[in-house]
Amino acid sequence: MAPNSNVAIDIKNLSAGYDAETIIEHVNLQINHKDFFGIIGPNGGGKSTLLKAILGLIPIQKGSIHIFGKPPERGRKYVGYVPQYAEFDKHFPISVWDVVLMGRRAMRGMSPWYSQKDKKAAENALKKVELLDCKQRHISELSGGQRQRVFIARALAANPRVLLLDEPTASVDKDMQETIYQFLQEINKEITIVLVTHDIGVLSSYVNRVSCMNRYLFTHDDDRYISPEMIEKAYSCPVELIAHGVPHRVLVDHDHKKKKRTEES
Amino acid sequence: MDSLIELFLLPFVQRMFIAGLLASIACGVIGSLIVVKRVVFLSGGIAHATFGGIGLAYYLQYTMSWMWLDPLVGALIFAVLTAGIMSLPIVKSRLREDSTIGVLWVIGMALGVLFLNGVDRSEIIVQDPVSILFGNILLIQFSDLVLMGGLVIAILLISIFLFKDLQILTFDEEFARISGIQVPLLNFVLLLLVAFTTVVLIKVVGVVLVIAMLTIPASISGLFTKDLKQMMMFAVGIGLIINIAGLLLSLWYNLPPGSTIVLSLGIVFLLALIGKFLVQHVFSKTLSIT
Repeated sequence: MAPNSNVAIDIKNLSAGYDAETIIEHVNLQINHKDFFGIIGPNGGGKSTLLKAILGLIPIQKGSIHIFGKPPERGRKYVGYVPQYAEFDKHFPISVWDVVLMGRRAMRGMSPWYSQKDKKAAENALKKVELLDCKQRHISELSGGQRQRVFIARALAANPRVLLLDEPTASVDKDMQETIYQFLQEINKEITIVLVTHDIGVLSSYVNRVSCMNRYLFTHDDDRYISPEMIEKAYSCPVELIAHGVPHRVLVDHDHKKKKRTEES
Repeated sequence: MDSLIELFLLPFVQRMFIAGLLASIACGVIGSLIVVKRVVFLSGGIAHATFGGIGLAYYLQYTMSWMWLDPLVGALIFAVLTAGIMSLPIVKSRLREDSTIGVLWVIGMALGVLFLNGVDRSEIIVQDPVSILFGNILLIQFSDLVLMGGLVIAILLISIFLFKDLQILTFDEEFARISGIQVPLLNFVLLLLVAFTTVVLIKVVGVVLVIAMLTIPASISGLFTKDLKQMMMFAVGIGLIINIAGLLLSLWYNLPPGSTIVLSLGIVFLLALIGKFLVQHVFSKTLSIT
């Protein structure tokens, strides 16, 4: 496949999961460079699995993933990853600075020490998230929103071309959510953003493209919108939509038949 | 005071304190990693399995006349073997970790008992099983110190060289994988370090009490530090002070050294917890009121 610098992530007919269990199937997705791409869907629908497949953390069972034309193991150097905030041990003895420096490990290789260049990159990343003043603080001394920004800075320290975020605003208060999304919009000028969330509300006013994930990936013909049908399919039950992208509240009857539908975007 | 100086002139006392120093270094550095990674019981499994190795060494000394086979070397072989089995991909993917730990733990102990039972104690000198289990630092030989010293140097070199990666691994394993760290290999290296540490500690506190040395100094240190490197260094210091205090107590009152050290550690941990609680909740409140 010829590398196309305009296509950040190219996923073709992907099935992935753990051992014998397939969690996501027949996923086709093309994310262009500098997209702000949202993937929504219910918990357990395979959103995180999709991200992990892109990162090469779980095996691909069928199909292919390319990141700037490269398979995940080689392409992930272009990718920064911000995991779900809730997974961390807050009391782990580590400072903000050391967390951000970790982001440089991928380029540092085996060398036991961080170089000046690594430190500079970490400093810039902290500056971007406006937490340079807090660099000596312990991670437990930060608010939820600040901690989330530290993990964004860790991902940015490697100067990624794509930033993947898993539920970046879970356990962050509403004001901070807005701040984080605005910040992501700001860095989106240079970096492709892909984020997964079950929080449709805030999301729709920032993303430029969106898909729904529930085992299969559902995409609206014009993927700038979330359509009620899409949500309904993804969540396989009626959903109340009160969001910026949708003009009015929709509440529809539906049958519980699961329809398989994937489309190339 | 004179008696204290005289005491330190005794070679066995000197050996004891060198052993205490080596043990403190090993348990401060590796104990901190184990505590933050929450694999204390994994280490417990490795520690207990070494009993089998010690038994085997004595058994081979007796049956094959392999007098060169030091029991501590037997312990090292079993510790490394246990670490290896725990790290096998098939074991990791098919078995629950705590079950693996449990199985290796008891098999090691049972083998130890079986082997020691097969040794005729009138033929060779065998350390009393109780002192294998609970330690007897008074019995430390110069050759033990050489092996312990070598292991401590290995522990220090490996953990300094791999510190950054170990920090990432213990903090966020998934991120370690994304960063290109060979996570299964590094996890094995960590267990290997635990195996080395266990062997260093066995002579000091014994098989059963190894967990105490691995856990308590690091836990005390963790109460007051916010940095992994600092936690390690404080843990070494705390371990050393309490080790020496425990040893002196045991010499003074003629108590079993291993248990005395462990109990001293326990008491200091308790005091540290209470102290921290008072500072955080009681004193800070009175301060904010006034």
